[in-house]
Amino acid sequence: MTREAIGGSPWTRRALAAMGIFGLVFLTVPLVIVIPMSFSSARALTFPPPSLSLRWYETFFGDPRWMEAMWTSAFVAAISSVAALILGGLAAYGLRRGTFRGRDWAEGNFMAPLIVPTIIVAIALYLALAKVGLLGSLLGLVVAHTLLNVPLVMMVLGVAIREFDQRIEQVAWSLGASWGYTMRKVVLPNLAPSVFAAWIFAFIGSFDEVIVTSFIAGKYETVPKKMFNELILEVNPTITAVATLLIAFTVLALAAVAFVLGRAGKLKETGV
Amino acid sequence: MTRTNRLEGFGFIAPLLVLMVVAFNAPIVYMLGLAFWEKGRGFTLEHYEGLAEAPVYLRVLGNTMRIALIATIANVLIGYPLAHWMRGLGRRGRMIALAMVVLPFWVSILVRTYAWIVVLGNGGLVNRALQWSGLTDAPVSFLYNELGVTIGMANVLLPFLVLPLFAAMIRIDDRLLQAAASLGAPPRTIFWKVYFPLTLPALAAGALLVFILCLGFYVTPAILGGGRVPMISNLLDTLINQIPRWEQASAISTILLIVTLAIFAAYRRLDRKASA
Repeated sequence: MTREAIGGSPWTRRALAAMGIFGLVFLTVPLVIVIPMSFSSARALTFPPPSLSLRWYETFFGDPRWMEAMWTSAFVAAISSVAALILGGLAAYGLRRGTFRGRDWAEGNFMAPLIVPTIIVAIALYLALAKVGLLGSLLGLVVAHTLLNVPLVMMVLGVAIREFDQRIEQVAWSLGASWGYTMRKVVLPNLAPSVFAAWIFAFIGSFDEVIVTSFIAGKYETVPKKMFNELILEVNPTITAVATLLIAFTVLALAAVAFVLGRAGKLKETGV
Repeated sequence: MTRTNRLEGFGFIAPLLVLMVVAFNAPIVYMLGLAFWEKGRGFTLEHYEGLAEAPVYLRVLGNTMRIALIATIANVLIGYPLAHWMRGLGRRGRMIALAMVVLPFWVSILVRTYAWIVVLGNGGLVNRALQWSGLTDAPVSFLYNELGVTIGMANVLLPFLVLPLFAAMIRIDDRLLQAAASLGAPPRTIFWKVYFPLTLPALAAGALLVFILCLGFYVTPAILGGGRVPMISNLLDTLINQIPRWEQASAISTILLIVTLAIFAAYRRLDRKASA
């Protein structure tokens, strides 16, 4: 057993467990603390909350500016996640199945928005959109979110396509199925769980995007942009309610992904 | 059969390629142009000369490097024991621990940064606990200084280190360690002579990745630093949005881009070694 081989004395093991648990606490406690604080009745961020109320949720849902920001976020996330899914999915398929030259180069280019610091993407897009007069346009925002989401989609679908046996497609072709028919009836049904996971990740990625959005959105407010601007000015407890709603949204979305992939027996490859 | 066709499959990537070239590559090239080009005079390094003369730029650069380095070291010190401990857990324990690492990864960075205001504030959990235990009389100020920014960044980036490190650790064959034990090596020797060297490429790759991400951090220093802990990204924000000096912003962005890509190339080499 490993634990015996390198675990050492009971004291070493206890110390290691303490450090491990500290790491998990460090990662999760801030998120866990935000939730009860969002039900606080007090304006000051005092822990534990003096008494419970829903006033910060009422402020959030009663504020037309927050509601408008929520709709803008949802709209941009819906369109850009689907665009990233279609473009990124097709590209992932072409990169895995294609034989054309320069595939490594193309893949590197598609993954670049993940590696280049987001602040640089934000500045480059700001300067270029200002040049062509699209700064502060919804089109610019949707296109920016799409290219930021493409790497997430390609990571999830790239693995799924590589693991899907190409011979199954070749059988369909050799039986006379057209390319479109093979896609619809053979490839997509097999990849459906991963496609769903990729779409969810892209939707979360867009819904939470703050840096590029803050630079190029102009008069449009999204939830993260508004949250960021308010946090820089002053700490307003309404943010605690927004944060709790975002945590709940993420937990539900990831649970849906885990459920769909788990049912398809693919949970191991979700990774990140 | 068309399998030997040189363009086979190219049609699938063409739409995305067009979008990327127009909306990503062209803006980056345009930014590089602003950094190195002056109307009517052509290529110039003038914008870089301006940078070397102003001490504020060098101070921000030093700040960024120091904070990135400290946050990376903190990540290694917290992340390595965590990943190692997770490896020794049972199946169920591993799943739960892994979920606790993956979930924060997907929660908005704003939420995770804001959570530290709630936890570390004067009336927050940490200060309450410190005062209750009698360690301090007055609240300790964690926020709006370098300490808060470092804690926040280490927290946001920890999953980037732990997930690949854990993946590398569970690939290590148990029989290797048993062989060492059966030859009479004490646990400490097995750890330092067998186990640790095997995890080193993944640890180095993860640390480099965290360091790259630290260099470009924007949200966390802006919120937890309260404007008092400027990093490169916050300086860039000022040069674009407040005192429009686009050429200077482009020049600094270019330096950051080159440094990032150079470190990323090193990361790729280590990562290949780690997953080989």
